[in-house]
Amino acid sequence: MTRLRLEGVTRRFGGLVAVDDVSFEVPADGVTAVIGPNGAGKTTLFNLISGFLPPSAGRILFEGKDITGRPPAQIAAGGLVRTFQLVKLFEDLSVLDNVKVGCHLQGKAGLFSALLRPASARREEQAVEARSRELLAFAGLAAMADEPASALPYGRQRMLELARAMAAGPRLILLDEPAAGLNTEESAALSRIIRRIAADGTSVLLIEHDMTLVMNTADRVVVVDFGRKIAQGTPGEVRADPAVIAAYLGTGKSSANEPATQEAPHG
Amino acid sequence: MADWSYIPQVLVSGLGIGCVYGLIGIGFCVIYNASGIVNFAQGAFVMLGGMITHVLFARNGVPLPLAALVAVAAVAALGVAIERVVVRPLWNRKATMFVMILATLAAQIVVERLTLIAVGDQPKTLPVFTDRPPLMIGPVAIGYQLIWIVGGSLAIVAALAAFFGLTRTGKAMRACSINREAAALQGIPVSRMLALAFALSAALGAIAGILITPTQYTAFNVGVPFAISGFIAAIVGGFGRPFGAFLGGLLLGLLQALAIVGFGAGLKNVAALSVLLLFLFIRPSGILGAAK
Amino acid sequence: MTILPSTTSPDRRPFGLVGLLPWLFAAVVVGYAMVVGGYAATVVSFALIYAVFVTGLNLFMGFAAQVSFGQNAFAAIGGYLSAVLTASHGWPPLPAMLLGIAAAVLVAAIVGFPTLRLKGHYLAMGTLAIGLITYEITVEWQSVTQGYMGISGIPPIGIGPYEVTSDRGQLILLSLVVAACAFAAARIRRSRFGRALSAVAGSEEAATALGIEVARYKLLAFLLSAGFAALAGSLFVHVVGFVSPEVFGLHMVIVTFTMLYVGGIGTVAGPLVGALIVSLLPETFRAFKDYQDLAYGAVLIVLLIYAPRGLASLFSPRGRS
Repeated sequence: MTRLRLEGVTRRFGGLVAVDDVSFEVPADGVTAVIGPNGAGKTTLFNLISGFLPPSAGRILFEGKDITGRPPAQIAAGGLVRTFQLVKLFEDLSVLDNVKVGCHLQGKAGLFSALLRPASARREEQAVEARSRELLAFAGLAAMADEPASALPYGRQRMLELARAMAAGPRLILLDEPAAGLNTEESAALSRIIRRIAADGTSVLLIEHDMTLVMNTADRVVVVDFGRKIAQGTPGEVRADPAVIAAYLGTGKSSANEPATQEAPHG
Repeated sequence: MADWSYIPQVLVSGLGIGCVYGLIGIGFCVIYNASGIVNFAQGAFVMLGGMITHVLFARNGVPLPLAALVAVAAVAALGVAIERVVVRPLWNRKATMFVMILATLAAQIVVERLTLIAVGDQPKTLPVFTDRPPLMIGPVAIGYQLIWIVGGSLAIVAALAAFFGLTRTGKAMRACSINREAAALQGIPVSRMLALAFALSAALGAIAGILITPTQYTAFNVGVPFAISGFIAAIVGGFGRPFGAFLGGLLLGLLQALAIVGFGAGLKNVAALSVLLLFLFIRPSGILGAAK
Repeated sequence: MTILPSTTSPDRRPFGLVGLLPWLFAAVVVGYAMVVGGYAATVVSFALIYAVFVTGLNLFMGFAAQVSFGQNAFAAIGGYLSAVLTASHGWPPLPAMLLGIAAAVLVAAIVGFPTLRLKGHYLAMGTLAIGLITYEITVEWQSVTQGYMGISGIPPIGIGPYEVTSDRGQLILLSLVVAACAFAAARIRRSRFGRALSAVAGSEEAATALGIEVARYKLLAFLLSAGFAALAGSLFVHVVGFVSPEVFGLHMVIVTFTMLYVGGIGTVAGPLVGALIVSLLPETFRAFKDYQDLAYGAVLIVLLIYAPRGLASLFSPRGRS
């Protein structure tokens, strides 16, 4: 079964073609990664899929339904949730409340439930609390539930953003460079968490610079360069692909790990 | 029923007030370009320009040109004071734009109330600069004060153009408006530019206030309406474009004059504010498109 | 399953007792006014009416971190509708108040839709313009509002023959209204709706990514805020028995912002504490009556610079959260 399908997706900024006629599929199972050098158009691609930018041409289908040009909140409500390359937490809220906000789509309570607090709203609130604590435990943040989110160290902020996105109950989660700024140990832990998310039935599509993470985590890899898809396959196949080697290593960099140390601007 | 035969006469007076709005609008742009701040205390400068001139001239017998000059210098100094005391601390703490707006609005109120305490709530005025009967062009009377306003405003606009285009300091200020970080790296003292922008903007406001006071009056509470008209001028002209703001001021002045003929003087502010909302909703970048 | 080792939470400031302090303060002030009656009761009554307005302002500006310099427009709509319907058309106060609130919310919906799309100084000026236009209309539409003269002879709040006319009666009624408003704010704060507002305040992009319809929640907060403002405006005219344009002018904007910042923006108790302090301080220095607005402006500047989260934030465990 195909979770997500891109058909000739293109995005131009003035004369610049940031994403050029990209087509690929994300199957329902496992982890799919999009890799590519800096400025290859990866983040633009994510913005197109999640509805934050409208494509100039092409179609995006989520579980067979055309979601091209839908407003981003609606796309999220449909089960396709993203994270951001630069962590965007609700800094004034506690760690727990951040995840509770993530549960927004799981509930229905509106203004009148807030004021009158009927039994249904209390039950919903209990469910939100339980689910949020569970997700915090999953992300290793249980003991920090009442801390302000801004007080977390960077690595844990990333974990919190992941937990918050999972709280929305996505069937496909888009992770924009989840390992950026993490140390080796944190990165390895992240890899295990991502595998676990995929094993639990949520499809994962991630953009990454950290090759170690991609090779250890992804089942399939799509490679983009200058806005175009240049290769696709298993990590092993992609690593051996001459076009990929040219794009990635042709710049004189000798190690596939090299890009992990670079601060990536928007791709 | 409105009497439309007044229209040419009304347009002429609209032109005068429009120049004043334009100068105030330029004041908004000068500070905005140097700092990204919208200074809601702009009206205080306009009010004080006329008020200080009045106090020096009518109470202390200082000759009018000297009184006006002293008033402009004093208001420019006040501009710098507001920048140092109110804006700078917030700027250093990276306060949000909203906090900055609120703080400058509060500064406006403080200046207003101090003025009320100092001179009372009675309207004050100034004599016209040239006391002669108006020039008649056909049925249209053109007062000498109007010539002063239009001529003075055009001279100031020309001087500003020369300042921004030719002088080192003017060019440095423009560099700040394009990219503050880059300007700082080029060795331009960005913080001094901010103070200078406030001084310049305050002086512009004061001149506008001095020019308009003989045809109207000044009182402690005229600042906010003037500031809003100036802001509208800046929006209509495309925010951050000084000369667009002047053009916007002229348009607003003419439009307001027509609104007075059509709907009566009472609704002139409603008309101006409606123009503001219309622009905000439909074309917030103004006629010429916003800078940056 | 925990993959990363968890660190322990550091000791937290004890909250229970300290969190009650603002409410205790308010209770003492209202209790004192109740005992003394007369002028003190009048001053505290006005403070409580302001507290209703500022609680609404806080929903929009504190909880959702939006900007409006024009909420006085909705107080004016509520106040004037109440005044005109009761004084000129003989309506009983309660239906007039309800209609006033409904009208204000309706106007807020109509103007809010285009206005809330604006950002930064455009939003600030747009909302300021809405307040000023409303002010001008109250001045100029003399056949209905009687201009600067104002409308007098507005009946006090009451149902049928039972009218709240005594100082103490009004104080009790207003205390109940303020308590209800604060209760509503507290419940909103800890609900799905309130969390969505916090999310909009924190990061619109992140909120959107989690499926929160940002524009919708902004508008809802704006409507709520307008409703509170109209309620306050309506209460004012019935308590005072008189209304004129100056009541809801620019002065109101500055005073209520000062209250919001003195009390602590984004907190539940802040609006009440701020309204009481800002109303009482000038009264303690009666000689300085002329300096009121001057003091408000100066205090506001000092607060914005040195204590941007206000006094109540000292009593709450996590600033704005």
